[in-house]
Amino acid sequence: MPAEPLLTVTDLTVEFDSTDRRRRGQRFRAVDGVSLSLAPGETLGLVGESGSGKSTIGNAVLGLVATGPGSRIVFDGEDITQAPPKRRRALGSRIQVVFQDPYSSLNPSRTIGQTLGEPLRATGVDRRETRSRVADVLSKVDMSPDVAARYPAQFSGGQRQRIAIARALIRDPQLVILDEPTSALDLSVQAQILNLLIALRRDAHLSYLFISHDIDVVRFFSHRMAVLQHGRIVEEGDVDAVIERPREPYTRELLAAVPVADPREQRRRRESRSSVVTGSR
Amino acid sequence: MTYSLTPDTNSARPQRVRFLRSLRRHPLGALALGLLLLLAAGAILADLLAPYDPTATDLGNSLSGPTGSHLLGTDALGRDLLSRLLFGARVSLTGTAQAVATVIAVGVPIGLLAGYLGGWVDRVAGGIIDVLLAVPGIVMLLVIVAIFGNNESVAMIALGVLGAPGMARVVRGSTIAVRNELYIKAARVSGLTTRHVLVNHVLPRVSGPIVVRASLFAGVALLVETGLGFLGFGAQPPDPSWGNMVADASQFVAIAPWMLVPSGATIALSILSFGLLGDAIRDSTAGRARGADRVRRKVAGDAKEPAATPAQPATETPDDSDALLRVRGLTVSVPAATGQADIISDVTLEIRAGETVGLVGESGCGKSMTGRAILGLLPQPVAVTGGRILFDGQDITKLGPRQLQRLRGAQIALISQEPVASLDPVFTVGHQLKEVLLRHQPGSRREIARAAVALLRDVNLREPERVMRSYPHQLSGGMAQRVAIAMALAGRPRLLVADEPTTALDVTVQAEILGLLRRLQRQTGMAVLIISHDWGVIADVCERAYVMYAGQVVEQAPVLDLFDGPRHPYSAGLLGCMPGRAARGDLLPAIGGRVPQPGSWPTGCHFSPRCPIARDDCTRDPVALNETAAGHASRCLYPLLVDEKVFSHDAR
Repeated sequence: MPAEPLLTVTDLTVEFDSTDRRRRGQRFRAVDGVSLSLAPGETLGLVGESGSGKSTIGNAVLGLVATGPGSRIVFDGEDITQAPPKRRRALGSRIQVVFQDPYSSLNPSRTIGQTLGEPLRATGVDRRETRSRVADVLSKVDMSPDVAARYPAQFSGGQRQRIAIARALIRDPQLVILDEPTSALDLSVQAQILNLLIALRRDAHLSYLFISHDIDVVRFFSHRMAVLQHGRIVEEGDVDAVIERPREPYTRELLAAVPVADPREQRRRRESRSSVVTGSR
Repeated sequence: MTYSLTPDTNSARPQRVRFLRSLRRHPLGALALGLLLLLAAGAILADLLAPYDPTATDLGNSLSGPTGSHLLGTDALGRDLLSRLLFGARVSLTGTAQAVATVIAVGVPIGLLAGYLGGWVDRVAGGIIDVLLAVPGIVMLLVIVAIFGNNESVAMIALGVLGAPGMARVVRGSTIAVRNELYIKAARVSGLTTRHVLVNHVLPRVSGPIVVRASLFAGVALLVETGLGFLGFGAQPPDPSWGNMVADASQFVAIAPWMLVPSGATIALSILSFGLLGDAIRDSTAGRARGADRVRRKVAGDAKEPAATPAQPATETPDDSDALLRVRGLTVSVPAATGQADIISDVTLEIRAGETVGLVGESGCGKSMTGRAILGLLPQPVAVTGGRILFDGQDITKLGPRQLQRLRGAQIALISQEPVASLDPVFTVGHQLKEVLLRHQPGSRREIARAAVALLRDVNLREPERVMRSYPHQLSGGMAQRVAIAMALAGRPRLLVADEPTTALDVTVQAEILGLLRRLQRQTGMAVLIISHDWGVIADVCERAYVMYAGQVVEQAPVLDLFDGPRHPYSAGLLGCMPGRAARGDLLPAIGGRVPQPGSWPTGCHFSPRCPIARDDCTRDPVALNETAAGHASRCLYPLLVDEKVFSHDAR
């Protein structure tokens, strides 16, 4: 791994107010002492089931949720844990995000061109330059420049996800948080989007924090991975090491639960699984 | 291989155009808008339009009805009512506009900030709103008018302030809904200022409710304005306002009733117009939210005439009479602008008793519709337009609603992707389960309760008594799916249709549910049809599988054969798309392009536009399902050989 990490998260905790009425006033710890680091050009997969806190980690790096005391997030040598709003806005050009739901991630009342060009216009880029950069970024995600004049309603889920990726890339960020970017997509569309993300990573030397519940996708797409459970990292390491030689029981249980697309192998695993899993929940 | 990504042609127009067009669909709303614009124009151009000076008296013609020289008659001093109405409109409409402007200027920012920022801002705003709502409006207004003398502007601005809390509440509610949209998060991540996000992203999304609220409030404001005028506040005689015109007329109502009509009718019509306009705007903005509806209409609009000869005999796998379910040449369509659009075309499949069969494909391929058709649960206006569905020899497509109901539950049951949604939130699990059990078997209350507990225990729920007392929202996703399975099993069905039964669940829970289904299937001997997009699920539980693409079964095979050697390029392509089967560091052998919409399927092979090995004859005629080996069939003219690789690794 290169010496200087792009992102270092140390002892991250995030707490929310409990939504359960009987436990009003109590705090619920969504992320609990998570530390991780990400090198330039590297993809780190965060995998876990619902409620494991994986998305909250992404939101904390993006400054969308408040972090608990003692948490430290360092990006490119700068402590951004409590970055003031102005500094945070400036980071928008370097840390970007692609969300899961391609339907609610684009404002339906703004054209694609308005959505993509907005951060440029807001930082004083002129109209003509904005238009040409919008066209550039659209071609990067394999869409024609004339989609800029259209509204999100006219696009399919896969096309919207391309547009969301274009929005993330328009200011040439160094780090992109991918929060379940393909979970809402069909298998064949997922394959296209994964290929696109791999090509973009290679061309622009991007770092990805890849958040997913799908272990197969994480294995295929990431260099390293961290397995999360109840807000804690259970196991972390190179993808091959974690998948081939899991050390923790939870990782083993998770891996055993993923059905493989091979009936013979699946039958074998089903039989061995019953020895791994102790009772049902 | 790069392919062009073209947006759908039936475009949704920009909102403004859509609003004007939707107003056309509300003739009353359009009429109301027209009337209000007319009144406003009359007030502005009163100097030009009014035939007389509004204060000029003509005592010879006092208290007259409509005449040639006084179109709307005159009052007690012989002043022309039309002229007074026009000049009076200035006073009344200006007052209304001041009140509305104040409501917007005060209420909208408070609501936006409270909704968007939340926290202490929201709490402070909430306190102010509550206090203002507790102020008795009319009393407050009278006090203000008394203090400020006859300054009507002050009174109307005060009215606006008093109305602001209502507006703020509406805006706050809509803002909270919009605030959680991902595009707002994305805008924040992009480094846009809060002000920019509020003005450019949130405000346009909440403008509908604002306009509706403002329009309705304008009616109230006009009523209050004329009421104050009637009471002698505001414009003082001899200057006219609509309110003091009514007051004048009321003194002579016994001898000259007509005098009340012009002012009274104008006030009533204006208030009615504000209300109607508000309704029309609300309806049109609500219509905009109904995205799904638009999609359906779009499908219908795109439809072509059905192919002239769809009835080429589907490869009749020898009609194996012991199959429990036999679907033969099933075609399902939606009515379209021109004829009908098929959404399932010529589907033939069968399930033997005790067999577990998979139906796999991507969204829009028709797999869920096939499941719905088997249950006789096609949503209106979708209908079976061809073929048969034989369950135990009986054609389901020919059954009436009552017979279908008897069949469902007792013979064929369904579990769906959203177990919580399939349970009624207002009844306990026990209540619902016992109700279903009672329908299928007679018994005393105690026997039924015991059977319900036994069923819940059967689906591996640990504390069945506690679950019986729970409401659906108290269950986790996995527990709810177990309850749904228990309810499906209550009638001891012979066929269970499981439509994406584990898609919404975590993998560990999925593994348990699949294990449960497998055990129950073995114990009860029922047949199971699993509809899924997930190859892993198919590999885990199914013996045979059907692959669907664009409304057709493109391949059918025992799962071992299907995974080892898919013979249809689509099956092979879809299997290749699985990241779990790919080498890391490589690209996925993806299928380029998109699934065609129903109604725009190609004439020949439906997959041909995306197929790397398609030849000319693939696009010419419909392709039949051809048997390639025993029990293995492929709807392809050039079925793949085992291990043939046809997809390149650079489609993206």
